[in-house]
Parts: sequence; C-alpha cells; structure tokens
Amino acid sequence: MTDKQHPDESADNSGASRRDFLKQSSIMAAFAMTPPAAVTAVEKGLHETIATRFEQMSLRVTINGTAQQLNIEPRVTLLDLLREQLNLTGTKKGCDHGQCGACTVHVDGTRVNACLTLAMTTEGCKVTTIEGLADGDRLHPMQEAFIKHDGFQCGYCTPGQIMSAVACIREGHADNPDEIREYMSGNICRCGAYSNIVDAIMDVKQGGQKV
Amino acid sequence: MTKDTKNPPIDRVDGRMKVTGGAKYFAEFTMPSMTYCVIVSSDIAKGSIASIDTKKAENAPGVVGVFTHQNMPAIPGWDAPAQGNGNGPPPGPPSGGEKYRILHTKEILFDGQPIAMVVADTFERATYAASLVKATYTKQTARTDLTKHLADGVTPKGERAADYVRGTADGYKTAPVTLEANYTIPIEVHNPMEMHGILAHWEGDDKLMIYAKTQGVKATQRAMAQAFKINPDNIRVHTEFMGGGFGMALRTWPQETAVVAISRKIGRPVKLVMTRSQMFTLVGHRPRTVQTINMGADTNGKLVGIAHAATGETASYEDFTEGTVNMTKFMYDCPNVSTRYKIVPLDRGVPIWMRGPGEATGAFALESAMDEMAHKLNLDPIEFRLRNYTETDPEHNRPYSDKNLKEAYQRGADAIGWNKRSNQPSSNRDGEWLIGYGMSSGTFNASRGQATARAILNADGSLTVQCGVTDIGPGSGTAMAMIAHNVLGVPVDKIKVEYGDTSLPNAPMQGGSTITSTVGSAVYDVCTTVKNTLADMATKSGSPLANSKANDLTLADGMLYLEADRSKKVAVADLMRSNNLPAIDKTQQSKGGSEGEKYSMYSFSVHFVQVRVHPVTGVVRVSKAVSVADSGRIVSPNTAASQMIGGVAGGIGMALTEEAVIDHRFGRYINNNLADYHVATSADVPHTETIVIDKPDPYINPMGAKGMGEIALIGFAAAVSNAVFNATGQRIRDLPITPDKVMQKLV
Amino acid sequence: MNPFQFTRVTTPKAAISAVTKESGTYFLAGGTNLIDLMKREVIVPERLVDINKLPLATIEKTSTGLRIGAMAKNSTVAEHELVKKNFPLLSQALNAGASAQLRNMATVGGNMMQRTRCSYFYDNSMPCNKRSPVQAGPDKGQPNGPNGCGAIGGYNRMHAIFGTSEKCIAVHPSDMCIALVALDATVNVSGPKGDRKIPFADFHRLPGDAPQKDNTLQPGELIMSIDLPMNDFAKNSHYLKVRDRASYAFALVSVGVGVDMKGKTIQNVRLAMGGVAHKPWRLTEAEQFLTGKPATEDNFKQAAMLAMKGAKGYGENDFKLTLAPNSIVEALKIATTTA
Repeated sequence: MTDKQHPDESADNSGASRRDFLKQSSIMAAFAMTPPAAVTAVEKGLHETIATRFEQMSLRVTINGTAQQLNIEPRVTLLDLLREQLNLTGTKKGCDHGQCGACTVHVDGTRVNACLTLAMTTEGCKVTTIEGLADGDRLHPMQEAFIKHDGFQCGYCTPGQIMSAVACIREGHADNPDEIREYMSGNICRCGAYSNIVDAIMDVKQGGQKV
Repeated sequence: MTKDTKNPPIDRVDGRMKVTGGAKYFAEFTMPSMTYCVIVSSDIAKGSIASIDTKKAENAPGVVGVFTHQNMPAIPGWDAPAQGNGNGPPPGPPSGGEKYRILHTKEILFDGQPIAMVVADTFERATYAASLVKATYTKQTARTDLTKHLADGVTPKGERAADYVRGTADGYKTAPVTLEANYTIPIEVHNPMEMHGILAHWEGDDKLMIYAKTQGVKATQRAMAQAFKINPDNIRVHTEFMGGGFGMALRTWPQETAVVAISRKIGRPVKLVMTRSQMFTLVGHRPRTVQTINMGADTNGKLVGIAHAATGETASYEDFTEGTVNMTKFMYDCPNVSTRYKIVPLDRGVPIWMRGPGEATGAFALESAMDEMAHKLNLDPIEFRLRNYTETDPEHNRPYSDKNLKEAYQRGADAIGWNKRSNQPSSNRDGEWLIGYGMSSGTFNASRGQATARAILNADGSLTVQCGVTDIGPGSGTAMAMIAHNVLGVPVDKIKVEYGDTSLPNAPMQGGSTITSTVGSAVYDVCTTVKNTLADMATKSGSPLANSKANDLTLADGMLYLEADRSKKVAVADLMRSNNLPAIDKTQQSKGGSEGEKYSMYSFSVHFVQVRVHPVTGVVRVSKAVSVADSGRIVSPNTAASQMIGGVAGGIGMALTEEAVIDHRFGRYINNNLADYHVATSADVPHTETIVIDKPDPYINPMGAKGMGEIALIGFAAAVSNAVFNATGQRIRDLPITPDKVMQKLV
Repeated sequence: MNPFQFTRVTTPKAAISAVTKESGTYFLAGGTNLIDLMKREVIVPERLVDINKLPLATIEKTSTGLRIGAMAKNSTVAEHELVKKNFPLLSQALNAGASAQLRNMATVGGNMMQRTRCSYFYDNSMPCNKRSPVQAGPDKGQPNGPNGCGAIGGYNRMHAIFGTSEKCIAVHPSDMCIALVALDATVNVSGPKGDRKIPFADFHRLPGDAPQKDNTLQPGELIMSIDLPMNDFAKNSHYLKVRDRASYAFALVSVGVGVDMKGKTIQNVRLAMGGVAHKPWRLTEAEQFLTGKPATEDNFKQAAMLAMKGAKGYGENDFKLTLAPNSIVEALKIATTTA
C-alpha cells in the first residue's frame, strides 16, 4: 500500500497523506495540488495508469466476515464497491440517491443506505450484506419468513427489505404492525408487497427467534 | 387434478434465490473488459443542439468512447429503406412508426432525450466523463401541457380507437337524472425498483449476447435481429430475473439498441444502467388524460345513457394509444353508449402502457361517475350497479364466458363491513377524523395467445419445464410448476422451471395479464402429451396396465394408477426403464381455438376501501382495503394474492400520491426522483384482505384460469375517491387526492 | 461524481485546518445530503474532509440542560432516554424525518447543514440563485447553471410563504431544526478564529440577496455541539407534520409545539413551523399572545392568525396560507390535551 494514498491524517498535518506517493512520482509534483489531478494528468498526456494510481486510496473493511484490503477511488460508494468490484450483487441499486432503500446494508450493526455511503468512510467497519445473513445453507429466520409470507414479487427490493426488517426488530421497532409500517417506510416496494412484508416481520418478531 | 379442484398455496419457486441475493438481474452479470455506458440527457424539451463539446469527456481517465449524433455507429436495420420511406424503419414499436432516432440528428424532440452516450472502463469514470459533455441549444417553445392543447386532439388510426356508438350517442340527455363530470389523471411513471438498461456483448461478428430488462426476451431478440440484420438464432437474450416492469419494458427502447451498436463499434461488452431520473424520460409513462363522462339514469336507477370522452397525450414522433374508454362499452346494461378517444401529440417522450393500462384510467372516470350517479339517485352504489348488471356483453351481443361479479360484490361488502357505511356522506366520525367507505369495479380482457413449452420427465421422477417467457414478478414460474404438477403429479419440489432466455421455447411478452392463460396452457398441453406417452406405454399389451384406457389413468407421486382401482399401478421410473427411455422430452406449441369469438372473456375485480380523512389538514389514509378477484381458477393462490395486494398498493399511490409534474415553461419534470414522486410506502398501505372467487372459466383454457395483474389495479383509485366523498361529501375528480386539495374543499 | 481528494481527520482542530486551507473543501459527515448533491453535480467539491471519526458524538447532561454532540446520529438522539424524557419534541421531530436508514447515517450537525429540496436548486439546467449566485466569487459560491429563481412563477407547491425574497423562495427541509429552534437551542461552533455560540434562531438565515448562504457560519467553522436548556414542555409537546404520503416525505407544513400548562392555562409556550420559510420559523408573536391564556380553540385560532401575519403565497403554495394556521391550531390542541 505504499504507493497508495492513505487518508488518515495526524492533526494539523493535512497534506501528509499524499507524501508517500508524491515522493515516488516527482512528475506529479507539478500539479499535485490541483484537485481533479487525474484529469489534468490526462490532459498533460500522462499515462493512464499513473492517473489511476493517483486516484486510488487504500481501504480496510470487513465484509460479511471477510477482511478486505482494497484500493479504491474515494468517490466510489459502498453500493458500487459491493456490486461492481466485489461481485456482491445482492445489494441493489434502486435510485442511487437514498430514496428507496434497495441498497440497505448493515454497517457496524446499523442499517444504512449504501448508495449514500462513500466506501472510504467504512474504514475499519464491519459491513453485512444480504449474502452474509444466512448461516451457510440455513436461511436467516427473516429470509424464511419472506418466503413463507410471499413478501415480494419481482424480488429486487427484497434484500434491502430483509436487511431493514432484521434491523427493525433489533432496534425494537417491530412491536406492532403500525410501528413496522412506519419503520419500514424507507424501503419502497413497487410491486406493493407491504402487507405480506409486515406479516413476515410480525411472524419473526412473535416467533421470538434470534435475529 | 382438474380445473374443478382448487389449488393449494405453494411457495414461490424462485423465493430462495430472491431472499438470499442469489437472483441475478441484468446489471449483475459481468464480463471480461466490460465497459460502462452513461447517457447524457438533453436539458431542453424542444429545439436543436447548437454545439456539443465532447473533448474533455474523451480525454477523461478511462474513457473508451463518446458517442453523439456526429459519430454514432450505424444501426443497419434502421438505415435500410422500408415501404418507400427513406428514413428507415424503427425497431418495431408496438403502436406505429417511429420517427425519433437516437443520436441521429441534432434535433431535440423531448426533455431528457439522449444527446451523448459515454463509455468508460468504470461506472464512476463514465459518470464523471458524462458530466464533462457540454452542449448548447437553439431552443424552441415546447408544447408539453395537455390541458392547453386539448383542441389538438386527433382520433388515432385503427378500428380499436374509433368512435363507438350504441343506441343514440347522446341518449343520456333524455334521462330524468343526468350528470356531467370531468376527471383527470396526471402523468404517472412506472418506476419499477430496478432501473432500466442493458448489457450487450458481441461474441463474434454476428453473434450477440444480451442481458436485458425486458418483458419479452423473444421480442428483444427479434428487435435486435432486425436492427442489426443478423439471424435471430445468433442472438441470445437472457432475463431470468427482472426487477419489475409494469409495462415499461414492453418494447425495446432506442437506448438499448444504441448500446448494442456501441458495443459492436468498440469491440467490448457495454453495460448501461440508467439513472432514476432517466426512468422518467426514456422508458415511457402513463399519459396524462382528461375525461368527460355524461351519464343519464331514470328514477328507478336504470341507466339510460353514458357518453365517455377521453383525451390523452402522446409524443410528437409516435402515436401511443390505449383502451381508456373500453370498459364503458360493455360493463353495464345501458341502451345508449358512446365513446370517443383522442390523443394530442406533445413535445414529450412517448408514453407506454402502465399496469392496467388505459382501463385503469378509464375506470377511474366511469366508476367515479357511477358513484356520483348513485348518490344523485340516493341509491347504495352496489345496488345501483346491480340494477344495471348484465349477464351478456352488450358491446358484442354475446355471453360472457364466465362472470361472477354479483358474488364478488357480496363477498367484498361483507369483508369490509359495508353495512357500517351510511349513504349520507360526512356522517361517520371518529374524533376529528371522518370515516368513509367506497367501492368500485374493474375489468380487463382475458385471452389466450400462442406459446410453446417443453417438458422433460426424467426416469428419477424429476421434471423440467421450459418456456422462454419472462417472469417480471407475478410468479409465472410458480404457476408453471403448479400446472405441471397438476397434470403429471410430480411433486413441486421435483419440478425445475426454466424461463427468461431465448434458448427456451417461444413465448409472448409478459403483459396484458395473459401469461398464465397462454404459457400455462402450453405447459398444460405439453405435460398432457408426456402423460399420454406414459399412458400409451403403460397400456400396451404386456404392460402392467394393458387394456386400460389412457383417460382412466391418474399420475401421482411418480406412479401411474388406474383411477378406478388404485391397486393397479406402475411406477413411472419402471415404465421408462422397461421402454429404455432415460427421459420423455416433448416440445409442443399451444394456442386457443375459436372460443374467443363465441364468448366475451373478461376478468373482473371489485375493490372496497375504508378511508380516514382529517379535515383540518386534508390528510387521507386508507385504513382498510379489500380486493375481490373474479379471474377464473386460481393456479397459484400465494402469488395471485400478492398481485392483488400489489394492486392495492399501486392503487393507493394512483389515488393519493403519484404525480409526475412538469414545469411547462421548460418542458421538464421537476420531481423526477423517488423522494418527490411519491410511490406509496409501507406506512401508506393498510393490511389488505384478498378474496378470490376461484371458479374456473369453462372456455378460456384447460385450467380455467384468467389474468390477475391488471384487474388488481383497475378501478382501485375510484374506490378511494368514492370513499373520500363518502367521508367528506366532497368529490375530487383530479388525481392524486393530496392534502391540499382535500383541505381546501373542506375549509 | 467528480474526482476529489479525500482526507480523514480525528480532531476538530485538524478538521478546521483542513477545510480552511483550500477553497472547495467540504466536511463530510453522514453524507446523506452532500453525496446526493455531488451525484447531481449541484455541489462539486475539490476536497472532502471526513469528520466521521471526530469525538463529537456524545450526549450528556449539563448543569443547564443537555449537550448533544454534532456528530451524534439522528437515530441515536431520537432514541436517547434523556431526549425522550426531557425533550420529546426533538425525538418526535427527528423520527418524522427521512427514513430509519437515513437517520442512522445523518448527524445533528449535518442535519442543520442540509440544503433545500427545491427542485430548481437540484436541477443544474434550471434557474436558481442559491445554486448559482448572481455575484459569484470567493465566499459567494461558484456559478453552476443559470441564475434566477425557477420557483417564482413555476412549481412552488413546496415553497416558502414567510421571509422570502425576489431571489429565493426555497424552504429549509429539516424537521429536527424545527424542534431545536422551538426549544431555544444554542449552537456551539469552533473555527479558525476560535469558539463561539450561536442562538439556534440565528443559525439559519433568510435568503435576502444572498440565497446561496443558508446559515451564518463563517468559513472554516465546524459545528461542535448543541446545548438545550431545561424546560417544562416535556408533558405537552407535539410535532405535527403534514405531508403527501404517510412517511418518508418532506413536510408541506410542520408545527412543533411545547407547552407548559398550569391547569388549563398556558404558562409558557414554544411554537415553530417547518416547510414555510428559508429557515426554521419561530412563531414568537403567537407565543406571546398565548402566554397566560387558557388553552382554548379560540385562543389557538387567534394565535394562528397572529402567526400568519406577513405570509404570502406564490400560487401553487397558496394552500399553505390555510394549511399553516390549521396545523398550528391542530398541533396546539394535541399538545395541550396530552397532559
């Protein structure tokens, strides 16, 4: 990782992160402080690989129990990291603007929208996606309940609904159907399976299984 | 099992894939050296591109290509002259000739029209490079407001859209009680959760692999074969899972074809995933429609006449039509009926059928007017409908194949507690909240088309059923498994259903509520052929059931029985082994006969709601919903019920929250996102009770099953509007019924 | 999104220094609004300073009330026992906003900093003085698309009826801030020139001639915490939010009320509205009128009339001229009967 920027900065030393890199690449020094440096690099005829390296930073994050050491552009969202780079496509892109909940994952145990989470901000975090919910071949009780109650049609919002539903119970917001409806309202289902989804969550909650 | 037997509920066959994230949608396939395409959309709605600067984008990191009207690769099938028209044919849009060609000229015909497509090696880089494309425009005034241009309405070509008269066109005028009312619905947008796009890869000069978001893989295959002048057999289209469609993927959109052309040009796979905002402009919408109903009835509550006029929007470059006024022609016993349907070409992207297409629009008007007339007559709205009930189709003068609407009214009324409703509006309160009840009915054509299915029965008793249909969510695969199970007795968990790929046998698009009838019949027929093959073997001389008749045999749990004496039996596996057959593999085409000419075939629905209205703030909440479906034999009860609760959620959105708004000064949407375009949330939808009549239609197909998808929505918005009237005494005739409209009526 | 530099800081000092050093630098907290705006190219930062690791997330009792760290998540604040017990209005307002997921991401400071949801602000091709200030430059913002106000004469159903200017009629979208302004909060900020306190009512500003400025923060200043003074409104608080769908929607109009009742008499009252102005709108005159009066519908109506003085509709939002007073009366009724 020595040739990658590392974003952690000591106090009052906000320029330090790039030094390791710049030391190695004096050619970059001429425009190192120009923010969209990669574009400048290309405009100045520099080789693409240099631009690529310049844009990438290191990230350590644990995803579904596996420690990952990655190099990514800071503008990559957690959602696109999962889907386009790690082939964890169970997490869905439904709007890309935090307006539908299809991308819901757990970061350090809380449900968040992966589309508005820059992957870099998950440094040192534990991320759980739908792929990490089941225990091997044994489905999580919420997954079982969604099948039993037919809590979906097209299935596209389903991983986000399930991740949200698990969190809804863990947060203590699944005591009655109305509370579930309110606390699940951040997950849009265009097929309109809400009635069955509420039944599925109530079933798991009342079943008392560990979620 | 026969169609006289009700089907047990079974779990969705693809449920496990969907709850584990294992189901792969088009954008989730990946290929070596795959590239990402991002569309740059026009900022204006009408005019032309004065200049377009792509240099910065081309030089941005990772960019593989920037395509505009200046360098868009040719689409050979579009460039060929056809029918003497030098402009080249479009890729077969369903409703007529297309003049709009993507990235073809500098002309801008609608807001959001692609002006460039940028391809790069990562999604982030393509998106950023797209932002660097800068265009200037020569603007013209865009005509986008239907209301302002109603006078420009034209009657579309074709028999189906022609004016209709039964009896006297304005016979309603002679009635002692009359009403005239205008109803409007706004632009609604399908907004399936999965965004549209395509992943295309040329595996050879004339060999194409496509992962698509389409409601018909075969249709996409045909469109691409035509566009690129290659043999359809060299094109494979795969859509096993699709994240909802609701009609928006009933055609191959120009940007899909463009991606395929670009992929060929750059020699790399290209993936396009559109943005949510582009879902508003590039893949159709439900058109804004203005309707007028004139209705007359006598004092006994008998309809004298109905005149229904509807005007909807279309694009300047293509006619779009739908069956907005259809229902009025046949729903009620009425001697004088006239309908008129017009479209107004506007500077807008072309609409496309959205769930319960025109019928949902028309039913809002007709079923609201029925409620208004019932009120004028001081009749219960159900009673008014019963007084005008018809057992024969007055439009075609022939019997319905099956109609159980009276039973549906009764069961729905019992379930919602209709007896708690007062016919006097605004008379039911719970604290500050006004309570109201409303109902309405819906109907949609039921039909059986043509499809081919393949069934492979293996010696181990397992069965594979194949058909190239797309399952966009309603559970077609589950229905196919149930039907195969019913014919062949193979346990559902031993049946593998394969669909959503052009390598499988031919099937129509998933749309118009026809798949269970059409594909289900093909599955029924091919499984019957498999069963007959078994029966032939079993009844040959020397076989265990020799001398029995094939019709007297029953299949269950891997055994073939003589129905009359179940001690006489043979294991299917033994039978196949003794005939040296590793499998029985049959493919069969299947279609209906002339039954559609003898009978009018429709599915029917009745919707009941209870609403709570807060008069001070205008807030409306649907507090109870009951939907009843009369759609023949229910093949898969779980997935059918899910379609019904989905119709309720969609109907609540249509009634209360959904409206795509245009600022006509710019001709642009101003709420093209899911925060401002309000699809119903979980909190908007109450517990929903679904009731199915579940009686087989005697004629339509071997299962007696009709469609569900459309009727689940059609009419629902009127039930809500009628309930709001019952709660408040105020009628809101333009959807959606938002708090501001309600509150202002009640001040 | 444009490429940008990304820096992670662990101390407020480093954060302030990083954001002061170069223009085009933004703090990144929960990201629920900033990342959205970046994706739409409404904001195009050259550099992000990730402040999520700053130790500013504590919620603690103070001698005068409660101190809430700027980096405390919206959901954490809403669920906090001291908040639910002593400041239920804040808890209710927070839970009325966004979705459970977004509340888990969004911070108190970020919530205060969120930009308007005006459609014209969000669309770079539409005229907007907030996004594209007339006189651009250092401290005044950079031009981004045409200027003007698309909402005036356009689709302004969601827009302001109070405190507007010819340049801008956008509304502040926060629910939380309505509660905070009603509860007399104070904002503690730290910047290159040191620490200072800003009364919450003075934190956000009206658009005037500079709608690009949402608040009174100086360049480089970082929100550290919010101080809430103890009050006697806990028993009689209500946050009423009227919106187009039952949840997960911005307010057409919202009203935050806290009342201190003695018998049927209003001893002390706080009233604020959302969805009506460029800033959280405190109803001081209505508060003064109600103080010492019996909690009757007639008094509520008179207070609402006072509150509506100076209100002005722009066409599509004229309904707010009725919805707003209706909602004030309704919120007061609910708050005064839940004792």
